[in-house]
Amino acid sequence: MTAVQDTDEIRRIEAEAAPTRFARGWHCLGLIRDFADGKPHSILAFGQKLVVFRGEDGSINVLDAYCRHMGGDLSQGTVKGNEVACPFHDWRWGGDGKCKQIPYSRRVPLRARTAAWPTLQQDGMLFVWNDPEGNPPPADVTIPRIEGATSDEWTEWRWYSTVVNTNCREVIDNNVDMAHFFYVHGSFPTYFKNILEGHTATQVMKGLSREDVRPPAKEGQPKLLGNTSVATYHGPSFMIDDLTYHYENMDLQSVLINCHYPIDANSFVLQYGVIVKRSEHLPGDAAEQLAIGMGDYIRMGFEQDVQIWRNKTRIDNPLLCEEDGPVYQLRRWYEQFYVDVADVQPEMVERFEYELDTTRPIESWRKEVEANLARRAAAAADQPQPA
Amino acid sequence: MTVRADNRFLDTPMRAVECRRCSARVEVRKSSWHQTSVQWDAAATAACHERPHAQPLPGPNGKFFESCSALQASIQEAALGGAVPVPDDGY
Ligand code: FES
Ligand SMILES: [Fe+2]
Repeated sequence: MTAVQDTDEIRRIEAEAAPTRFARGWHCLGLIRDFADGKPHSILAFGQKLVVFRGEDGSINVLDAYCRHMGGDLSQGTVKGNEVACPFHDWRWGGDGKCKQIPYSRRVPLRARTAAWPTLQQDGMLFVWNDPEGNPPPADVTIPRIEGATSDEWTEWRWYSTVVNTNCREVIDNNVDMAHFFYVHGSFPTYFKNILEGHTATQVMKGLSREDVRPPAKEGQPKLLGNTSVATYHGPSFMIDDLTYHYENMDLQSVLINCHYPIDANSFVLQYGVIVKRSEHLPGDAAEQLAIGMGDYIRMGFEQDVQIWRNKTRIDNPLLCEEDGPVYQLRRWYEQFYVDVADVQPEMVERFEYELDTTRPIESWRKEVEANLARRAAAAADQPQPA
Repeated sequence: MTVRADNRFLDTPMRAVECRRCSARVEVRKSSWHQTSVQWDAAATAACHERPHAQPLPGPNGKFFESCSALQASIQEAALGGAVPVPDDGY
């Protein structure tokens, strides 16, 4: 072998197995309202089974689901007071992980303590803190507040949840993948920049509405011109997308959540939610209708991603062109959540900016949109006219 | 899970650029006039004059700092002066 690369050499796809360790950070398990029915809920996450239950005092707790007594599944038990009772022998476990009582015994034995997960309830969502090292969440690792989530000027969360059978790095990669927004999602990005820093990864994207994929606005309906989106991952799994749609006569503000938690190395639960800001342009329940419509649209978007993920292969050495985003740098950033805190390297958290040159993509995509429109017009002209 | 090197950065490596305003040293790479990569380190981040005065944007992600205009101007100069090469293929 010579040092000079033979340009005819076949490039090999390389991929290590997906890590069996799970990311350190806050993970959203879903909406609080879905856990607040006084029953224990079973959650498969981080390679384990968890039980989520709300006690009578209103606090939501997350424990390892398997009872330390004889291994019963607490998520099949019942909530009694502020404790979850095991269906096997009725041992009562508190939200702090301690066994509080054993009704048929005089005393609770020593070491009657199970794993309790730190939780955060914020803006209608329930989060758990995962840390393979077992440390509590540092004060500066937070999820920012979403003002609209608790405001009457915004709609309630429209929330969706689905299981995806692949490693969750695929969903992270999307954050820097501009071209797939055109080819997979029917968007038309015109500006794209990523900023990776600390435990956040931001994507700023501006785009145009695509006439070749969206039906043209009906008579009297405002025409959609484009959108501006600032989407930030706060930690390894929770992205907030501050998304504004620009119409001829108004701006429509929305917040979109894209989050997930790993079930195991090769599957994860993908969740997304949306709220829309009410405005004078949205009378009656138009804002709710819009949130529903947007939710369905986002679901379609994720189904498009899932279709790709289901068939693609894991790749550690993607071959990138200059119009691709910073996939490697994003993965370097993502790596910080998979190593011990002591092993987090400066380059994983130091600020990295990447602004894409969209000149060539825009040229090429304009042509493609025009060709699609021309084809559609020709097909319409070929249709026999109704008699 | 070792992260590999970006094939693009192996072919054209980054160059050091110093901010004319605060003297922060960052690493820069340009693949065209409109594409820019900027790698900061902790010292550069601490040195930036503009950042502490940046107004947070509205919205839940508003705390992020989009860019330093003084540094952008310095990068532009470095590109024009040839210190940061820009491939000349019409973009
Ligand atoms: S790096 Fe110089 S002012 Fe920001
Ligand atoms: Fe996608």
